[in-house]
Amino acid sequence: MISDDDLLLYYYRDGLDAAERGRIGTALAEHPELAQRLHRLVAQLDTVAEAPEVPVPPHIEQRWQNALEQAARAAHRTNWAAARTGARFRTSFRWQALAATIVAVAILVTVQVSLRSPPDRVGAVTPQPTTTQRSPVPDATAYERGLQWHLASTEQRLASLESAQPDERAQLIESIIEQNRLYALAAERANEPQLARTLRAFTPILESLANERRDTDASDRAQLNFELRVVQARLKAAADPSPPAQSIAL
Amino acid sequence: MLTPLKAWIRPDSFHAVLSERSVRWYNACLRITRDADLAADAVQEALLKAWDRRDEFRGESDLDTWIHRIALNAAIDLMRRRKPQATQELDVDQLVAAPAGAPDNEYVQQALGRDLVTAMQRLTTMERHTFVLKHIEGWRLEEIAESLHTNINNTKQALFRAVRKLRVDLHVWRGES
Repeated sequence: MISDDDLLLYYYRDGLDAAERGRIGTALAEHPELAQRLHRLVAQLDTVAEAPEVPVPPHIEQRWQNALEQAARAAHRTNWAAARTGARFRTSFRWQALAATIVAVAILVTVQVSLRSPPDRVGAVTPQPTTTQRSPVPDATAYERGLQWHLASTEQRLASLESAQPDERAQLIESIIEQNRLYALAAERANEPQLARTLRAFTPILESLANERRDTDASDRAQLNFELRVVQARLKAAADPSPPAQSIAL
Repeated sequence: MLTPLKAWIRPDSFHAVLSERSVRWYNACLRITRDADLAADAVQEALLKAWDRRDEFRGESDLDTWIHRIALNAAIDLMRRRKPQATQELDVDQLVAAPAGAPDNEYVQQALGRDLVTAMQRLTTMERHTFVLKHIEGWRLEEIAESLHTNINNTKQALFRAVRKLRVDLHVWRGES
């Protein structure tokens, strides 16, 4: 006799050993009435999950936004104080993190373009990380092609920054910031808010590079690391959509 | 001319995910606490914890999922710390969604919402937490046991009791006996 409790654990795929799972699975396959019982049980419990959602009161949502901004300001102040005590700035990490973020954004753009393209043309939209002649990209819009070029070109120009004279360096960074600003605007118009935000996140880092700041900036590093992981998590989710956890074939 | 460095870096990803997912977090916490103020506090606590620990975010799950989980644990902790008499101060209206859509649908949704609240009210805190974390949130039994400071066997028994009570109260919504 298989109890409802056992059926429930079988449904959750949790709390039963392999032998018990096997026994219940066989019984479900052989006895349609048992499968029907499990189906009814799950349907009843799913009613609970169907409860309509309660909206968040606007003042509560505002309170959360304010709390978050205060925490960010506090972190910045702490960091600023640490900088004054003479902690050292690690340039190499900034360069690596910035380059990695640019690469991640380039991949994000590629994935987005690929997902929009018909299956037989997916291979045609791989970005070309050079400014030389490249093959046409039939399905990408002019904006997407421009963005791919911008990211590739930014990566190349950043690589040459370390050997540049201070004046050249400032000019180069200023032009990158300006281009970046335009592409962030274009991303927003193209209804890509996440991309726009990520592009804007480059600006303060580029500015600090231009100013040749030597103060430590742990908060910048933490934030850059964090943004990079968010982009990577989204890419991972886009590339590998996992199946529903609670599904069961009856 | 370059603009000066921004005074502080905006936590953009947090703001973005907050705008998109706050209703989901809030409702998940509301199922745990059954108290709108506690649920709001739990979400705020989760946001601040996640911000402080953003270095620990490894990208293995979505940022939304990560904060959602922290919020549920914050809600459970708040419930553990709350005063026992507060349990009596439940306002059913704050747990039921405001009417929306066609009048018939409004009625059905509100009636379902009220019945669910009543059904959940009949569960003990342990039963409700176990059921919500297992059936709605999809946690593993051992994760629930750890979060509720108990063992797997107690967790299973609480889940079975919750399911029995809910089936009695909710069978009308599925036309089952």
